[in-house]
Amino acid sequence: MKVKVISRSADEFTRERSQDLQRVYHNYDPNLRPQEKAVEYVRALNAAKLEKIFARPFIGAMDGHIDAVSCMAKNPNYLKGLFSGSMDGDIRLWDIASRRTVCQYPGHQGAVRGLTVSTDGQVLVSCGVDSTVRLWNVPVATLTNSDDLSDNSVEPLATYVWKSAFWAVDHQWDGDLFATAGGQVDIWNPNRSQPVNSFQWGTDTVISVKFNPGEPNVLATSASDRSIVLYDLRMSSPARKVIMRTRTNAISWNPMEPMNFTAANEDCNCYSYDARKLEVAKCVHMGHESAVMDIDYSPTGREFVTGSYDRTIRIFQYNGGRSREIYHTKRMQRVFCVKFTCDASYVISGSDDTNLRLWKAKASEQLGVLHPRERRKHDYHEAVKNRYKHLPEIKRIVRHRHLPRPIYKAAALRRTMIDAEKRKAERRKAHSAPGSIVTVPVRKRRIIKEVE
Amino acid sequence: MAGKMRKAADFTPVMYGKKRKAADSTKDRSKSNKKPNKRNKILCGGGGSDDKRKRKTGPRLPAPLRKVLGGTKRSTDSLNDSDENISSDEANDFYEYEEPLPQEESGKNRRFDVVKNYLLDPSDPVEEDENVSSEDDDNKDDYDGVSKIEKSHGWRESSEQLIDEFEDDERHLRMLQTVSGMPSEAFEGKKKKKKNLVISEAYPESEFNPSRDVLNGNGQISIEELLEPLQGKPGYTEIRKLIREDKNSTSIQAPLPRVEREMLERKAVYEQSKKDITKWEPLVKMNREAPSLFFDEDTNLGFSTVGAIASGFEPRTEFEKKMALLVNDDKVKEAHNEDGSKLLELNKISAEEYLEDRNHIAKMRSLLFRHEMKSKRIKKIKSKTYHRLLKKDRLKSVSAEMLMDPEAAKEEARKQEFKRAEERMTLKHKNSSKWAKRILQRGLEAQDEGTRAAINEQLHQHALLTRKMNTMKDSSSSSGSDDSDEDDVDENSAGSDPDEASKLFAKAKEKTLKVLQEDDEVPTSGVLSLPFMVRGLKKRKEEAVEEAKLALQEYESSLKELQDTGGEENANVGITSGRRVFGAAKRDVPKPKPSNKMKTDNYYRNSDSEDDLDENIDVGNGMKNDLQKDVNVDSGFLNEDAEVRRDSVFKSFDDVVRDPGPKTSYDVAIFASGTWKKMKKGKRVNANIKKSTVVGKPVLQNQEELSEESDTDSEGQMVDEILSAGPKPLYELPSQEELVRLAFAGDDVEEDFGKVKQEILNEEIPEPEKPNLLPGWGQWTSVQRKKGLPSWMLEEHEIAKRKREEALKKRKDAHLKHVIISEKMDKKAEKLHTKTLPYPFTSKEVFEQSIRVPVGPEFNPSTSIGAMNQPDVVKKSGIIIKPIKFEEVNAHEKTEEHREQKRSGNNQKTNKRKGAGGKRAGVRPVVVKS
Repeated sequence: MKVKVISRSADEFTRERSQDLQRVYHNYDPNLRPQEKAVEYVRALNAAKLEKIFARPFIGAMDGHIDAVSCMAKNPNYLKGLFSGSMDGDIRLWDIASRRTVCQYPGHQGAVRGLTVSTDGQVLVSCGVDSTVRLWNVPVATLTNSDDLSDNSVEPLATYVWKSAFWAVDHQWDGDLFATAGGQVDIWNPNRSQPVNSFQWGTDTVISVKFNPGEPNVLATSASDRSIVLYDLRMSSPARKVIMRTRTNAISWNPMEPMNFTAANEDCNCYSYDARKLEVAKCVHMGHESAVMDIDYSPTGREFVTGSYDRTIRIFQYNGGRSREIYHTKRMQRVFCVKFTCDASYVISGSDDTNLRLWKAKASEQLGVLHPRERRKHDYHEAVKNRYKHLPEIKRIVRHRHLPRPIYKAAALRRTMIDAEKRKAERRKAHSAPGSIVTVPVRKRRIIKEVE
Repeated sequence: MAGKMRKAADFTPVMYGKKRKAADSTKDRSKSNKKPNKRNKILCGGGGSDDKRKRKTGPRLPAPLRKVLGGTKRSTDSLNDSDENISSDEANDFYEYEEPLPQEESGKNRRFDVVKNYLLDPSDPVEEDENVSSEDDDNKDDYDGVSKIEKSHGWRESSEQLIDEFEDDERHLRMLQTVSGMPSEAFEGKKKKKKNLVISEAYPESEFNPSRDVLNGNGQISIEELLEPLQGKPGYTEIRKLIREDKNSTSIQAPLPRVEREMLERKAVYEQSKKDITKWEPLVKMNREAPSLFFDEDTNLGFSTVGAIASGFEPRTEFEKKMALLVNDDKVKEAHNEDGSKLLELNKISAEEYLEDRNHIAKMRSLLFRHEMKSKRIKKIKSKTYHRLLKKDRLKSVSAEMLMDPEAAKEEARKQEFKRAEERMTLKHKNSSKWAKRILQRGLEAQDEGTRAAINEQLHQHALLTRKMNTMKDSSSSSGSDDSDEDDVDENSAGSDPDEASKLFAKAKEKTLKVLQEDDEVPTSGVLSLPFMVRGLKKRKEEAVEEAKLALQEYESSLKELQDTGGEENANVGITSGRRVFGAAKRDVPKPKPSNKMKTDNYYRNSDSEDDLDENIDVGNGMKNDLQKDVNVDSGFLNEDAEVRRDSVFKSFDDVVRDPGPKTSYDVAIFASGTWKKMKKGKRVNANIKKSTVVGKPVLQNQEELSEESDTDSEGQMVDEILSAGPKPLYELPSQEELVRLAFAGDDVEEDFGKVKQEILNEEIPEPEKPNLLPGWGQWTSVQRKKGLPSWMLEEHEIAKRKREEALKKRKDAHLKHVIISEKMDKKAEKLHTKTLPYPFTSKEVFEQSIRVPVGPEFNPSTSIGAMNQPDVVKKSGIIIKPIKFEEVNAHEKTEEHREQKRSGNNQKTNKRKGAGGKRAGVRPVVVKS
């Protein structure tokens, strides 16, 4: 008679500390666990539900401005630093962690329209409707907290007055130059009082400008003539223009994919373009119910945030046609500017209600230090949810968002209208000679032409 | 002309370089330049002596200053730089006004020192040299020659105008030469012609007053001419190619309008910028295809271990300092060290001895430990059976010891005696306990089987304990009769006497009877004490008893036979065989069913735990086959030759006998075991019998015939009994069809199936309801009565019917007669399916594959979980992510390799992740390190 005995060495199973976990050995034979798929499905479902339960994206508001926040800039070298400019000419430096103003930069007469910080995080450039460009020194971040705001007000390093009101400014990545947009596009060297280069293509006001962070000599602007223009500083010339049906309010380059940029358009959509193929958008990101005012890519390049005139913030995947997340609060008004923080974990919005708001980029993310086991658990939940996200039950839960009534209604109305249009187009096509009416794909529909 | 001029000017730097080289290098270059030099010589022939009297015009800078300026001038003005070599040549610059040559320069009177000039201008002596040794002639440039020609001309002419003209001419020529670097000879012909013309110009030559040459088109220089001296230089072919291309474009177009020009420029810029951006493609592609991106660069968080922190510890407070002083005190340290050494010194044992001793101790200890572990393990084993076996083993060994060792036996006996005495004194097992008393009080009949068994057991225990010493011994190795049995068997197997056999039979009979008598061995506890099991047991027991009885009958008969036949075998063989046949036929009657086999097995295995497994099997089989067993015993008895077989038979028999077990079991087994084995060898038995006949025993010949007969009978029996019995050629298996027909005789499967299918169809696509008439509904009652059902109702019904038929036709199993494919939707399962194929997947299979393997920690080892559950983007909050930085990526290279390479390449950039290894590991995007 053979007696089978389970033998295990005591060394392996002895815990060093009483807090240690007991060692457990599993038999991973799938025949022993025939229910694995069902188990994982239920877990995915639970994970989806838990995600909904824990979704609390709003962290806090930063108030201090006395007029609408018009623009923001993040310090690329310091995670906690954020600059915001308002319509009354006030510029503030915020400490995101404590959500307090660190210092103010008074000086602009009229609205501040553009803010940007040099890559080393030492110089702040601001421009406004008073036709001035001001350079400011950014105080070195210290542990000492500044409670009294008046002490920290500083004088600009330089003030350059130029021809027309400015609409936007952006600093080159890892370079000296910065570009302003207004009557024309000007390229500035911070040490010179006059622009080193100016571009004008067309007569309309340029309303936004953005340098390509991957390819620092390439920049894109959008103008009020509904055009998007690409420039190349190496040849100091504009390169290409594409004209759309509606105006583009802001542009953001994908920091991980230097050929791609996304344009926030007045027609409620965002259009992702490949700078090499401008005749057709790569992706149309739909979802907003009103003009998209600002856009900013996450530093990971996998998603971007948009702020809209419909009082919501949305987060899109870089290739997603619909938004992954919608943020709104009762008190948040028209959103004029949004930014992703440099560590891709937070989103900041500035709106008409004079407040800056800090949001989590992932609504249900657990903040703070995670134990490895916790992290693994989160990862597993995410993986399982991701795996079964196509199944109807989970899909419904994951996609569900509660919306304020006006927005919900506007969305419904918009959907109706779009459907009606589509129907009409279909009928028209059905009743005309075959081939006489060609359906233009959505990605091309809003592009009028590409100008050389 | 202007264009050409510009071109020439463009070339000058090249020329200049060449010239410098020429000046530097010496003879080896002169050989290649022989031709022009010769020309020079020829030309120089006229005015060789004039060379020193160089004509100089215009204001002159002091020579050292000029020398200094030379460098800068050179680069700016092509004509001026040529003057460097000929220091006295500046007068010929176009822009300079004419001035008579200073006296000292002209050297007219030879009043001035030549050497001075020589010293001042380094180029002069060369020239001088050249001129002196004109025949050898080396370093001279074409240029010099030209200047000489010019000079010679200049001196020949007397009239001012002529001079002027000539100067113009010369200047032109010189310019050409400077530009082209060609010998003046090339231009001589023209000059001669010109000379013949001798047309003086009224105005100085300038851009606005082109000379005649220009107007005539004679003075034009082709680019080829200009290029000629460049031949053989690096870059020559390129220039020539360029020029050829240039030649093709004959005329320069008017400049484009600004708009158009800008457009073209933009186009070019865009193309360029496109090309630049495209270089990112492989990198971006790689990042996109990577299952996960890593942005968590490792940041320096300072010390990570306690040891690392402690190593940097410095005492600061007084207390700490004191402690440090004590710990690091030399004396303390020394003492510590010395202590060890002292101990060593004290150690008198030699190293070998010490080692041996230690090894021995270690060995003993390990043995002890192992023994301990073993005993612990054994003690932990909960199996009662195991312990019982163990006990038995121990007893066995003890008994063996007793046999061997009288001392031990004595000891054992004493022990036993003590136990017995104790038992007799206490009567512990004599139903004296409270429990037993209570049970007895209530009556044994009222108890269930288990309890009764327990009581019996107790009594048995008592009997065992109180038995006397010698009897004890007997019982330990079963009973005395058993022993004698054993002996008998041995004798039998050895000699196979008929008497012995009869004895054996007698004994066996006794046993069987015993079995029959004491059949009520009731299981005390466990599963078998359950009522239904008990019932089953009883039943089986009854059967067994019946069989045993039969066997007994048979047995008796054979015994009689034996007794009858006695010694004279020959005579009686026929009779016996006849009887045997009869007996066999008789035996046929109580056929135990083959299905019995397992049941009996079970019964015995469970019933008494003291049985061995093997024994059980024997018993089980024996029970069933006792009829055959008899036959075999007979044959065994009859066939004296077949000893071997019988041996085996009896061996098993022996085994059975030896095994201490409940009497019931092995009593039956006496019959059982042997026959069971025998039966297997049924065929061989016959063969052996045949053999024996071959040997030639007349008795056996008879026997053979008979046994053949009987064997065939018995074989037939066996086929009936056990399916696996030996092959029988006569028996034909029915064909499959026949079998099927037989199996399903009487039931019409197809029709049933059709009905079921129809039912299912009706359920899934229900038949439309027949229109029924409700009086007053739809129409007036009177109308209804007249016209019957309204037409629309009928129509509706028709439509519904048609629809149903269509739906039925569309079904997948519409044309499959024998198949039902259910198209009913399972609502519960529906939520586990997607309606359409999700976006990134291209086929159903791929999608299903993607969700096939579970990812959870219960289903996967922890080593692979990390990789399986990796999120798309791995980042750490609080770390600034920089935009992508360009890095060369081989598009064909696998991402995996790339990752590896990158990781190994720059560790400071990438963070090594544990658990990320394996199949699904991501790629880190290249990120600027801050």
